[in-house]
Amino acid sequence: MLHFSKILLLFILFVPLYAKEYAVVVSFKSAPITQNKIKALFLKKSSFIGEKKIVPLNLALGSSIRKSFERKVLHMSLRSLQSYWTREHYLGVRPPISMQSQKSMQAFIKNVSGAIGYVRMENIDSEMYIVYKWSDE
Amino acid sequence: MIKLLLFLFLLSNLFADEFIEDKSYHLGEGVQVASLPLYVGGYISADYRGVDGNNSYRLNDLALLSYGNYSKFSYLAEIEYKNFYLHNENAGKITVSKDRKIHTERLYLNYTLNENYSVKVGKYSTPAGFWNLLPINVLRETTSIPQSTIILFPNFTTGVLFSYKRYKEATFYFDVILQNNADLDPTYNNYRMDENYGIGLGYEKENLSLKLNFGFFDGLFANNRSQNLYYYMASLKYATEKIEILGELGSQKSAHIYTTKYAGYLQGLYHFTQKHGGVLRLESYDDKKLGVQDDLAIFGYSYRPLYPISLKAEYQFHKIHKNNQIMCSLSVLF
Repeated sequence: MLHFSKILLLFILFVPLYAKEYAVVVSFKSAPITQNKIKALFLKKSSFIGEKKIVPLNLALGSSIRKSFERKVLHMSLRSLQSYWTREHYLGVRPPISMQSQKSMQAFIKNVSGAIGYVRMENIDSEMYIVYKWSDE
Repeated sequence: MIKLLLFLFLLSNLFADEFIEDKSYHLGEGVQVASLPLYVGGYISADYRGVDGNNSYRLNDLALLSYGNYSKFSYLAEIEYKNFYLHNENAGKITVSKDRKIHTERLYLNYTLNENYSVKVGKYSTPAGFWNLLPINVLRETTSIPQSTIILFPNFTTGVLFSYKRYKEATFYFDVILQNNADLDPTYNNYRMDENYGIGLGYEKENLSLKLNFGFFDGLFANNRSQNLYYYMASLKYATEKIEILGELGSQKSAHIYTTKYAGYLQGLYHFTQKHGGVLRLESYDDKKLGVQDDLAIFGYSYRPLYPISLKAEYQFHKIHKNNQIMCSLSVLF
């Protein structure tokens, strides 16, 4: 019983260390931006960072990173987002384009000026600049 | 710019399999025409109203939307039939009317300068309060519209809108509304007027949104009589996944007297499930132009099998009892 308790304790202590970490990244030098501004960009309420026109990207519906992003950064459920984009259709605004994989999202961000997307921390390289971080904790 | 477009074109071919932009049609999202910056959609609504022995059945909004954007520009056009078919029964007498005139609801071009500034030119929904920005049946939770959103200010402006927005921990925005010309469709859904000036101040943080509006317009009434009218309004919205509280309160006056002493409402929406919602709205207004003071409570039920399809029913209890009424509607955004 004591042995089991030790394993459980170790598990509880170490799980947060391995919590998945993510970042919102761009391909140009930018100061960190607030969660409120990130939300405005991905909900297309704002389409600029300073003078730079921004192209927000989503991963495919059902992707675990996208789910985490919507829950932790946008603070919206799938149903809320669906109703939000229906209302935006009436206002003449389209949702962000979707990419099939992290690989294609990373390629798009590196090659298209103004693209903004989200990736796992371990996939960030020197051509990407972090503007916001979050984790699944 | 040409290089960027060429690159995007090549990239779209290179990563053709990697893009998932779903080209299949989903209800409530419109469709893109070819690969042009042109999307089309629309909405339709039918409703029933029973009040004081009078029953009316209406095929009301029948609207088409078109919009798109290119670089810093975006545009939107919305045309519609109103009261396309109206069947009325009163004390055994049946009348049918059909209005087949096409109206211009919105028509504008928007230019976004940078993160903070944008300008809109054309006919647009006056950004006063929250209700007036999403006024169509399918996006509302009741078939009826609060009286305050009809009588206090012009619902549409044909002119220029300057907007300033700032996103930090919270969002702050400022609107300047300018009109000094005739309305694009002067007899439709709006005060008749040829001058309309206003400002709006907004603040949003997490679930809370607050807004203040002040304005002046030159209303044109019967017998070519015109009257300068001033209005102010405070609005509040608090929304979570489960509830939404919406309130607006304002007043309107001429140079000497209150033309609307007060008009406002407080509405609560509770989502029982994702598809079912209950609404309670309390309204009160004192309209001196019409000589009507009324208080009312509205109990409503909203069912959305899919978000772009709305089935609603409501009952209104009025202080003026003969205005007690039942309303139902079906509306779809496509």
